[in-house]
Parts: sequence; C-alpha cells; structure tokens
Amino acid sequence: MKSIFIITRRECGSYFGTPIAWIFIAMQIAILSFFFFQFSPFFVIESADMRVWFGLTPFMLMVFAPAVTMRLWSEEMRTGTTEVLLSLPVRVQDLVVGKWLAAVVVLLASVVCSFGIPLTIFWLAASPVDWGPIIGGYLGTILAGMMFLALGCWVSALSRNQVVSLLVGVFVGIILILVLSPDFAAYLSGTYPALSRVVESFGVQSHFRSIERGVLAVSDVVYFLSGSLFFLALTVFQVELKRQ
Amino acid sequence: MAVETSEQTVVAAEISGGDQAIVEARQLRRTFGATVAVDDVSFEIRRGEILGFLGPNGAGKSTTLRMITGLLAPDHGSARICGVEISEDPLKARQQFGYLPESIPLYDEMEVTEYLRFVGHSRGLEGTDLEQRVTRICERLGLGPLLRRSCGTLSKGFRQRVGLAQALIHDPDVLILDEPTNGLDPRQIIEVRQLIRELSQERAIIFSTHILQEIAAICTRIIVIHSGKLIADGTPEELAGVSSSGWEVVVAGEGISPQLCIGLGVAEGVPGAPGETVHPWLSESAPDLATLSRQIEDSGSSLIHIGRARETLEQVYLRLTGGQGGRQ
Repeated sequence: MKSIFIITRRECGSYFGTPIAWIFIAMQIAILSFFFFQFSPFFVIESADMRVWFGLTPFMLMVFAPAVTMRLWSEEMRTGTTEVLLSLPVRVQDLVVGKWLAAVVVLLASVVCSFGIPLTIFWLAASPVDWGPIIGGYLGTILAGMMFLALGCWVSALSRNQVVSLLVGVFVGIILILVLSPDFAAYLSGTYPALSRVVESFGVQSHFRSIERGVLAVSDVVYFLSGSLFFLALTVFQVELKRQ
Repeated sequence: MAVETSEQTVVAAEISGGDQAIVEARQLRRTFGATVAVDDVSFEIRRGEILGFLGPNGAGKSTTLRMITGLLAPDHGSARICGVEISEDPLKARQQFGYLPESIPLYDEMEVTEYLRFVGHSRGLEGTDLEQRVTRICERLGLGPLLRRSCGTLSKGFRQRVGLAQALIHDPDVLILDEPTNGLDPRQIIEVRQLIRELSQERAIIFSTHILQEIAAICTRIIVIHSGKLIADGTPEELAGVSSSGWEVVVAGEGISPQLCIGLGVAEGVPGAPGETVHPWLSESAPDLATLSRQIEDSGSSLIHIGRARETLEQVYLRLTGGQGGRQ
C-alpha cells in the first residue's frame, strides 16, 4: 500500500511539477466552458443546470484521459526508466495502481478547478439551482474518468510511442462511447433485442446519463468501477508481459 | 535430527557469508523468436569479487544481466541472489542488489535528491536514515554541488554517477552494472573504476563491458560470452596463462633481419610494446638461452627478453571470440 503512494507522489510531481497537468486542466475547462456558454440555453432562459456541460464530459474524457495517461508507461519505456522501476522491490500491481492514481489526482484537480461554473450559475441564475444533477454529474465525471484513465494506462503500456498510445486510447474510447451508444441500442432493439441490451450495458453513455440525471444506481457505479479494475488488470498483464 | 543439522549448517553458511556464492546463475537460456540470445550460461560470484562480463556487442551480456535482475524471465535455468531465487521471491531478491542499466535512465524532470529519495523510499528506506544515506552517497560520488539540479540538465558523467548513487542507496550486497563506463571521458572512466574497486571490498560486483583494458584494470574474474555462450571463466592471469604457447625473443628497435631469423630459428618479427619487436621461437623444444642470446647480440640487435610467450588479454579475447573484436 505504501509503495502505491510513493509511486503516486512521484507521478504527481511529474504532472504538477511540469506544465503538463495545468495545460490539460486549462484546456479541458476552456473547451467545456466555450461549448457550455455557446450551446446551453443558459443566457436565454437562465436555466440553472449544467446539462450541456455534463453531456459533453464523456467526449472530453474520451480524448483527454488518454492524453493525460499516454506518458505514464510509454515515456518510461522509451527512456528506459522502466528498467530501474521494474528492478525495485515494488509489485507491478502497485506500480500500475500508483500511476493510475496520479492521473486520477489530475482529474480531481480539473474537477475542482471547474467548480467556478456551478458557482457562476448559482450566482447568475434567476431560478433556484437543482443541485442533485450537478452533484451527480460531477460524481459521474469522476467515475467515468477513473475508467477512462485506467483504459489510458493500459494503452500507454502497449506502446513506447506516446502518439500511438493516444490514438489507440481515443479509438477504444470511441467504441465505448459512440459505437456502444444508446442511439445504436435503440436502433438494434427492434431486430436484435439481446444485442441491444449488450450495447446498452457496455456503453458508457447509458450509465453516465443516469448518474448525470442525479440517479445514482448501484449498477452504474459497479460498471465504472469494474471497468477501471478490468483495464488496470490488463495493464498489469501488459507490463508483466515485458518480462516474457 | 539430521534435518536440523543440515538447516543449522545452511544458516551458519548464510551468516558467515564468506565463501558462499552470493549470485548464482544456473543454465540460463533465453531466445527471442528464432534467435538464441543466451544459451546455457552458468556462473557464481562471491563477496569481494569484481566479475567482468566481456563480449562483443550483441553477445548476450545485457540479456544475461537482465535475467539475473528479474527484468527478463529466462526460458530455462534460474538465478539466485543471496540465496533467494529471483523467480520465487522477486521482491526479496530485488532488495539485495543495485542495478545500473546501460542507458542510465533517470527521470529528467526530477531533481537529483528527489530522485534518490524516490528510489530510497521505494526500497523501504525512510526518515533520517534515508536522508543520511542520500547525503553520504552524494558526497562519496561527488554529487554535492548538483543536489538541486534536475537530472535532465546533467552531463553524461554526472548522470552516470546519479545512476550509481541510485544503485547504491540501500547499500546492496550485489551491484550489477551494465557498461558503466560507456560514453565517459578518460578521467571519468578512471574515477568510476576507482569507485568500483573501493566498493568491491564489501560486496560482489558484476559489470559488463566490451572494453578489454577495463577488464584488465579492475576485474578479479572474467567471463567471456560470445554468441550467447559462456566461452571462458577465470582470473585475468588464468585466461592469459592458459594459452602460453612456446617461447619468444623480444629485441629493441626494428628487430632481426629476415635472413638472420632463419639462422636463429625464430619467426619474422611482429611489433610488440613501443620500440620493441617480438620474434616467436619456431621450434617446439626450448632454446639454448646462452647460445641464442649471444647470437642475437652478435647480429647487432639488442636483446630485451627471451622467455615463455604469453598471450595478451587482447589475443585471448580475439582467439576466443573467433577474431571478432568488440567496438572500441
């Protein structure tokens, strides 16, 4: 357990000691804010919700999560620092979880930095703010983010080239978000009801949407947590494979 | 009762440490696809030994070292460090050694002390003990003025020292160094060799190199590896002595003229040390030293030495590796 935090602390040092984390956070908030104020009916009807913001979040995570994690293993494998890292008396599981937690810290920092938006709404809105969906939305962001970051860790361990890691990460993200989408599930429901249910249960959007509405179902939490665990296990397997 | 006795013996041997091999490699074999990188390599190292791992580039040196450190799983065979099988208890085995890979990988964005603290923490050190070790190792390696510098801004020589500091932070029994003097300037090379010699007093050191002078300068034992196979294992003297072949005559200057050589029974001269020429004795039987030396003096050459020919380490190496020398 202790070695996990030693690794997390080192990775956080790399993220926050260099401009990487800050650039990601600033870009993510800038892009989300632009779309939010551009497309939300906020200024028209002064509606006090963040539906547009959280609607866009999975798509942001799809691109930004692998961008944050791409260096975690690829960079180490390229520079050879894995040689020292893997010769330390630390279990591979601890290395993988430690690195992933550092990426989760970046995600949490970006969530905290975006609190300015709900506070702005609270300050400007004419109608009372419904906090349920906002809290749910943030919870969904963190849960889905954890899964996307775990996915990012895995693709980062696949290649020593960071660009390849990023592209594979986005590609798998597109499958999880756009291919396994509720629209596709609805399209399939008439002809292949069984397949439609599979698409619905493995797709990110259907799980994210219910949390975003403020409904915290156990099945959705289990989906994101087990998804994280699955990709972390794949990462451990991938790193161990390097010894073979 | 018999079982108890044997256990006690093992414990006693572990405590005394002395003659016990602290690194044992047994029949290591590793293939990459169809290529056999390392084939049936076995050796042992004891405390106080500096083992030079010699071989041309691509001979399988790094692969062997990586199998000993557990970075690569062997297809066959096993490695034990301080009695711990690396495949059975990798964490405990890894605690026993310090490893400096060939490429000296450091986290460029980290400061020197930060990096050393990170490695120390990962190796279970903490508090004042860790701080004292960081200070001590930095002093010993002359890193004092660079503690706050980030690793990415260090010169190659200092990166090497930080790499060594990282490998030594937990005061390991075994030090595994993959080409530790590669790319250093002559002064740095001498410093690193001096350091290795000092460190070897309390521990066992394995280091790989393709530079012969290095081996001759510091190793107490040499292993020559070629095309993945272990082809020689012994002290520098043993390896050079094994092949003592016939006699030789060493004279000053250009050597004896070819016509006189025939009369004397020696082959034509080949250059030896600067200003000297070496003439191998052609006959199987030993020369009559008094007659031969008089004949040489009469021919006008000044004799330096007549004696048993000994191969230099270079000659041994070239013979063993089939004439393929390493890159210098």
